[in-house]
Amino acid sequence: MEDITHIPQLTLQLFGFDLVFNTYTILMTWIVMAALIIFAFLATRKIAFVPNLFQVVGEMIVSTFYGLTRDALDDELAKKYFPIICSLFMFLVLSNWLGTFPKLEEPTKDLNTPLGLGLMGFFIAHYAGIKAKGFKKYAKEYCEPMFFMAPLNIIGELSKVVSISFRLYGNMVGGAIIILVVSHLIYSLILPPFLMCFFNLFIGTIQAFVFTMLTLVYISVQVK
Amino acid sequence: MPFDTQTIISIASYGGAGACMGLGAIGAALGVGYTGGLANEALSQKPEVSGTIVKNMLIGQAIAESAAIFALVIAVLLIYLSPPVTNLLTASALGAAGLCMGFGAIGSGVGSGFPAGEVCLAIVRQPAITGRLTTNMLIGSAVCQTPAIFAMVVALMLMFLDVNNLSVNPTWAALLGAGLSTGLAAIGSGLGGGLAGGASVSGIARQPETFGKVTTIMLVGQAVSQTPAIFGLLVSFILMFKAFPETTSIAAPMALLGAGISMGFGGIGPGIGNGFTAQSAVKWVARNEEASGILTRVMLVGQAVSQSTAIYAMVVSLVLIFVI
Repeated sequence: MEDITHIPQLTLQLFGFDLVFNTYTILMTWIVMAALIIFAFLATRKIAFVPNLFQVVGEMIVSTFYGLTRDALDDELAKKYFPIICSLFMFLVLSNWLGTFPKLEEPTKDLNTPLGLGLMGFFIAHYAGIKAKGFKKYAKEYCEPMFFMAPLNIIGELSKVVSISFRLYGNMVGGAIIILVVSHLIYSLILPPFLMCFFNLFIGTIQAFVFTMLTLVYISVQVK
Repeated sequence: MPFDTQTIISIASYGGAGACMGLGAIGAALGVGYTGGLANEALSQKPEVSGTIVKNMLIGQAIAESAAIFALVIAVLLIYLSPPVTNLLTASALGAAGLCMGFGAIGSGVGSGFPAGEVCLAIVRQPAITGRLTTNMLIGSAVCQTPAIFAMVVALMLMFLDVNNLSVNPTWAALLGAGLSTGLAAIGSGLGGGLAGGASVSGIARQPETFGKVTTIMLVGQAVSQTPAIFGLLVSFILMFKAFPETTSIAAPMALLGAGISMGFGGIGPGIGNGFTAQSAVKWVARNEEASGILTRVMLVGQAVSQSTAIYAMVVSLVLIFVI
């Protein structure tokens, strides 16, 4: 159980402050980013009417998510927010799949990754809301239905960050713990690899999609 | 008969195992029975596709049963895993693990029965798109299992928690509260997710071309239905990993137990309520595809209001943990 909850850390002293780096998580995040950049390079290198394999996959992802963004926001805003939505999904999906390979781990298994992405979505949504409606109308919505409900409305908004990040984290850590316990109970021939495929590839894809869609819908609720 | 520490730990682990499997069997059995019933109805309407219906019924039932299998795994572990520590806290942790998994399996078991049952009726309506219906049912049922997985995670963490350096008096209640918080809160979330999944399968059977939009709104609705279970998980994590100072008073442990009970019971209603909202939204997206944008937004706002009761419960829990 310890090797699941343990995160390798590197602490640096800087002007009297402790700077803590979760080394393994950062390394895994870099691997994901490198893979995404290589994929983007291969997909856009030779754009042709008859596309190559990478271009097909890239076009499929881009057109699917552009359609989803346009359904949730209107055409104008969709152009603006589509890149972040699409790259969020691609980053999360690769992160969740990474644990399938030996010696590698999902960066989403460290709570800091989903929490950071959740906070990013939260700030983007509220920035979009203020920009679309103006600060006065934005602030007035917190005093619905009565002005004394404002503290609870604010807690409700903040709890969205908690729920979106703990959902991803709980699913990924849950899968990892179940795989670990099952591999201790039986010889790892059939069941643990099957469970790994189920939790990383299937649940990981679904949760990445859910995270992306919730971020998108939060933006859409704030804008409209 | 002397009551030494070892005896008390054995009592807790056997009692926990019994509660775990007993409670865990409730939900899955209900879900599986519901699926079987709808499969019979479907068969009577169209006996010529009986092979497909029975196959889908068995797949759906296998998924609905997995919540009970989680409970079985935890129960077997509780019986055969003899903990080496001789600390009274182990007893509390093992009992809490059993209760957590037992309660946590109820909702997911019933919930994943809904999509599995609806898929049988949907095949009667649209035999040509069986593959798409099965895919949708698999996604819906698998997402329904998330609350049960959360309960299993908390149960396993409780069983393997290192309790040697913890203070006995308030922590026993904290561990019990951690088990109850996730376990009870998972009931509503599992059930609510199932309602959305069932509506999605029958909606796709009505209009197969809405597959993408219906699946998307189903996933969003199910994810928001699971928020109470996630709050329960959060309260459990705080109760398990926060260090509490040793005390002789009875008030501190009761506050921690109360925190778990508050979040646990407080999560049941919002989970089911969010499920109702998601069910209707999914149903109407399937009938009126153009309105999917506004339906998604209204669903989310409605769920946020329904969620506020879970947030009250969480606020009370956090006050009980951190203030008292």
